[in-house]
Amino acid sequence: MRIKLTSVYVDDQDKALRFYTEVMGFVKKNDFSQGPYRWLTVASPEEPDGTELQLALNNNPAAKTYQETMFQQNQPGAMFFTDDVQADYERMKARGAQFTMPPTDVTASKIAMVKDTCGNLIQLTQLMRWSG
Amino acid sequence: MIDRAQYTPGPANVAQVRKDGEKWTLILVKELRHPPEKVWQAITDPAHLRQWAPFDADGNLAAAGATVKLTTVGVPASHITQTTVKRADAPNLLEYTWGDFNMRWELEAVAGGTRLTLWTNIAQPFIAMGAAGWHICFDVLDHLLGGRPLGRIVGPEAMKFPRSSSWDCQSDGLHRHLAILFPPFRRN
Repeated sequence: MRIKLTSVYVDDQDKALRFYTEVMGFVKKNDFSQGPYRWLTVASPEEPDGTELQLALNNNPAAKTYQETMFQQNQPGAMFFTDDVQADYERMKARGAQFTMPPTDVTASKIAMVKDTCGNLIQLTQLMRWSG
Repeated sequence: MIDRAQYTPGPANVAQVRKDGEKWTLILVKELRHPPEKVWQAITDPAHLRQWAPFDADGNLAAAGATVKLTTVGVPASHITQTTVKRADAPNLLEYTWGDFNMRWELEAVAGGTRLTLWTNIAQPFIAMGAAGWHICFDVLDHLLGGRPLGRIVGPEAMKFPRSSSWDCQSDGLHRHLAILFPPFRRN
């Protein structure tokens, strides 16, 4: 058993694909449709066969309420790890990303928070040292 | 049941594509050598749909006002939507929604059988994929009605067939003809 996929709910899959590829820098991995359903995933170019991120259309009212509440409470919908959060911050800002938190030192890591334009906050995490 | 491994998609049908505002509609026609009553059952009865359609229904679609849950098959996640049948004029016209797609089925009695026409919405990037998928579904339907059921071929299994598409655009750019061509191909 492996962890191969994680999902974020998005309010518009085309818009999400633009953000997660052009701004975040991921690459499109799977994109197919059956009737009204579209299965869309991206992966990191650093790990093209690694864990995929599904950009799932949020047309479920319960999930919408959950997503909005998490957003209002500044809770990230997903978290990605990077080796250099400052460099990613500069790169993504240059591509128009809206950060709600610039790179900030917290215990044992440096984090930043960015809007994904589709209803989520995404946390970028750079671990400064492993604990435990 | 004949051997599915022997199946290859039949000759290309010409489909029509229309654009109305931001909404695209795919129009597919299939001539079937069976009477409309028999085709009607195949497009409304859950036990028949299960053998060829890209979705399962948990109830019969043959009555206007019927509330039915449709489950998309051939996708990696559970996708279930509820629909209310808008029109069901047996054995000629059936209308309902599948998610946010309008589905309109017209059955016309013609010499020797039925001309089945499906109007379904489609997202622009998936026009060729959708037309090819429905083409295979209608092939499987034809086999089923002829008493030679193949079992449905949808999703990743349908995508194993290589295909190419050719477009014949009219001057207004809104009405297009699409032919999905399957080169001779034998599955492994």
